[in-house]
Amino acid sequence: MPEWNLAIRKHLAGVNLRPEREAEIIEELSDHLQQRYEEFRARGADDDEALRELMAEIDWRSFVPELQISEKTPPDTVPEGAATSGHFFEDLWKDLRYALRMLRKSPGFTAVAVLTLALGIGANTAVFTVVDSLILNPLPVEKISTLAALNTTQAKKTAQSGDLQAISYANLKDIRERTHAFRSLAGHSYPMAVTMTDKQQPHRVFAEIVTANYFETLGLHPYLGRFFLPSEDTTPGAAPVAVLGYTAWQSRFGGDPNILERTIRLNETPFTIIGVGPKGFKGVYAVFGPDLWIPSTMAEQVLPTKQRNALSDRALPLFTGIGRLAPSVTLAHAQTEMKIAGAALEKEDPNANEGKVLTVTPLIEAAYGPERQGVVFGGFLLMTIVGFVLLIACSNVANLLLARASVRRQEIAVRMALGAGRRRLIRQLLTESVLLGLFSGVLGFGFAYGGCRFLESLRPAEYAQNLADLRLNTPVFVFAFAVAILTGFIFGIVPALRSSRVSVSEVLKEETRSAGSSRRRVSLANTLLAGQVAVSLVLLVVASLFLRSIEREYVIDPGFQTKHLALFMLYPGQAGYDRVRTEQFYKQVLDRIGQVPGVASVSWSSNLPLWGRKETGLTIEGQEARKKSEAISVVVNTVDLNYFSTMGIPLVEGRDFSENDRDVSTPAAIINDTMAAKYWPNQDPLGKRFQLPQGKSFLQVVGVAKTTNYQTLGEPPQACVYLPLRQNYADSMILYLRSERDPSAVLSSVQEEIHSLDPGLPLEDIRTGTKVIDQALWWSKMGVGLLGVFGFLALGLASVGLYGIMAYSVNQRRREIGVRMALGADQGNVSLLVLRQGMTVVGSGVVAGMVLSLLLGRVLSRFLYGVSGSDPLSLGGASFALLAVAFVACYLPARSASRVDPLVALREA
Amino acid sequence: MGTKVEEEWKKGSAELLMLSLLEDQPRHGYEIGKLIEVRSGGTLHFHVASLYPLLYRLEKRGWIQGRWVEKPNQRRRRYYRLTAEGQRVLALQRKKWQEFAGAVGRIAGVQHA
Repeated sequence: MPEWNLAIRKHLAGVNLRPEREAEIIEELSDHLQQRYEEFRARGADDDEALRELMAEIDWRSFVPELQISEKTPPDTVPEGAATSGHFFEDLWKDLRYALRMLRKSPGFTAVAVLTLALGIGANTAVFTVVDSLILNPLPVEKISTLAALNTTQAKKTAQSGDLQAISYANLKDIRERTHAFRSLAGHSYPMAVTMTDKQQPHRVFAEIVTANYFETLGLHPYLGRFFLPSEDTTPGAAPVAVLGYTAWQSRFGGDPNILERTIRLNETPFTIIGVGPKGFKGVYAVFGPDLWIPSTMAEQVLPTKQRNALSDRALPLFTGIGRLAPSVTLAHAQTEMKIAGAALEKEDPNANEGKVLTVTPLIEAAYGPERQGVVFGGFLLMTIVGFVLLIACSNVANLLLARASVRRQEIAVRMALGAGRRRLIRQLLTESVLLGLFSGVLGFGFAYGGCRFLESLRPAEYAQNLADLRLNTPVFVFAFAVAILTGFIFGIVPALRSSRVSVSEVLKEETRSAGSSRRRVSLANTLLAGQVAVSLVLLVVASLFLRSIEREYVIDPGFQTKHLALFMLYPGQAGYDRVRTEQFYKQVLDRIGQVPGVASVSWSSNLPLWGRKETGLTIEGQEARKKSEAISVVVNTVDLNYFSTMGIPLVEGRDFSENDRDVSTPAAIINDTMAAKYWPNQDPLGKRFQLPQGKSFLQVVGVAKTTNYQTLGEPPQACVYLPLRQNYADSMILYLRSERDPSAVLSSVQEEIHSLDPGLPLEDIRTGTKVIDQALWWSKMGVGLLGVFGFLALGLASVGLYGIMAYSVNQRRREIGVRMALGADQGNVSLLVLRQGMTVVGSGVVAGMVLSLLLGRVLSRFLYGVSGSDPLSLGGASFALLAVAFVACYLPARSASRVDPLVALREA
Repeated sequence: MGTKVEEEWKKGSAELLMLSLLEDQPRHGYEIGKLIEVRSGGTLHFHVASLYPLLYRLEKRGWIQGRWVEKPNQRRRRYYRLTAEGQRVLALQRKKWQEFAGAVGRIAGVQHA
């Protein structure tokens, strides 16, 4: 019998097999040969003939190469059509490992791509966190869709008629007894400044007065202890208990686990802490929330003197209702029921309720009040902008991938030659890009976390713990994850389709550099680039429009001086002072502070600048009584002597308040020129008389002051009434002082003086006039800051992309450039050639961007102050900045092109 | 050995042939080679150096699976059987081959067998 083993082993020599595998093959093949040999013998051949015939029919030439392919065939290179069957996860795992290997092989590419995408994903995640925390899910309450806010509005349609106003306690109680639409109806006040004394240290904190069922209606559970009992909401003054907010518990009490049963003093009344609210809950206003809650029966103990009768006075609005809709009751149904309830209340007590309508608003909308539209718009705008930033990042990475694809053509062709189908290849390439996207997602989430912490750190320190937190929670994480995967598909799909469309035989034959296909590649890249330029320009224009707008807002003259102004909020009434002592304190402070060196003038006022409080229902003597629905509303400010000179508001007629305007003398008032012109047109307003809605007697106009801004910067002129403090007692006032120089220089000496008068008074709200303006513009400033950051991010990404593609194209064209130079083109010609190519792309992008910006400008113009949507300076400036950066990005490759040595370039080719 | 053209056709159809032969029952390599030869009336012939690389490739792809089987009075032999995956591929390849042969037939004017 012939020795088959040796013969086979000889042929297997070239194949690198594991010994066991080799032995198996030898065994199998020799058995086959033996059988065939026996077959020939059986047909009558002798040993030699049989062996000769057998050997003649075997063609060993293709054996080794075929076997090599067979042995190396990875199981996943399955032809098209069979690929998706059954092995999805197995294939995925293999693709992932392969993708990891590819990414590790080119760390430079991976780093640039991941960083670019991470910036895009990070920006999106950060903005989404803001939008989610402030707009989508502002309140961590149970089933917010079945919660509604209940307010009153003015029946008559006027500019302010949409404004939501509070409901009086007595009205709320009546509604609660009558309603069927609401399963439960609670009430809460706005957050009110109170003085909290803990261990002799007074602090200004914010408290909300709520009905006992407040937390239950919202579906909340305490973090510690308990919420209010129904019995704690029946007898006025009988339940001095308080629930602390989680944030306040953490920051003011260090998260003390023994906080329950602890006694604190609120406005000098002792309260016992019975519970801590849930984490993340800061009341139902989306932006600003209280530090603690107290039951409504304790209102009298913490309210300022003027509102002490809030529980009984039907005309004194204090509460916003919050209702949980009964099962299967719609909002519209509840609104109808409330309309009827409102009409009934109006009938029962027309004095207090005439002209008012009960309005039901979804809680999520009411959480903002009138600013909601602006906030939603801002959120939408920012989301759009970061979306575009991400698109730029994606198209940059797509360009990088396209550039890489030409390097990987050989690899891909080999894989196809080995039997990989196109669909399978696309899947592999997409796995790579999705993996890139995921890595970027992780880094991007880190960026977003940093960004959000940074944004939180920009909150004004005095109120930081009362302002909404940015929550990086599960929805945010899901968002980032989804964006990362989606991003991988977006930037990966076109390059994957492109690179898998190769002709195997051509590629395997050709060099890596191929003129025809790379030109097509460059034209796709150019389109992407022009798009990037256009989008960057739009973002820059938008950012500069808003920047110019806020710049204009900063130079708005509010009508009072801000440069030398400082304010101190003082609450003597909350420190247990009675009226006599408070009035004495006011006088003492004026005397003492007036003596402090550097203080030019000092006075008291009840209103903060730009936080004017309005009253509705003014009666003017000699004019026919207006219906409640057409009531005059005016800003009311109680001020002391020298207020106008301290604020730098000129008196245009009459006199300032004087020592003689006392309790016993004729009640006096100073009005502004807007009010004078509106209600006493073409008459001398001096000596005219009017009555305030809560007022007991007529007030005589003794002076007319110039109109200033009372509620917002740049607002349309509003009527305003100033009352003398000495005829209108208030138990908390704001100290205004005008300094001779920088007001911050006198702040500490003023504080010391006040502290020496009474160390028990909290002194936390100290601001300078410029800070007041800063705070008024805080939201706009934040928005503009973000816009600017994203605009520059877009510009940076686009210019990096531009540079990359230009450098790549110069590299591709080295041979052509070499030929040109060999034929006599000088360096200048070559630079110009490259520059022209790049700047043509940039130019078309700028033109497209201009058109888009002009269109967008029209939409934006109503959100701009003092700047038109087509502001030439913004358009021109943004275009110039973009062209300048683009020029540099094109110039560098152009310069390197001009340095091509024709000899080297041609030899290389 | 056939002409160059025949070689190419053989290569193109080899996978289909082998999968079809394993459809009903597991067989060893020699048996597969013999059946192809016999059933094609001697037109198609695979020798040891062309048959096994192909079998191994099919096995690697998971379309067939080989197993050593020992029978009395006989050397142990490797029997190949069709996997579920292989059955799917066979069905697909059959369909494609029919389409292909049909198309060639229509163009070249050959009667479809």
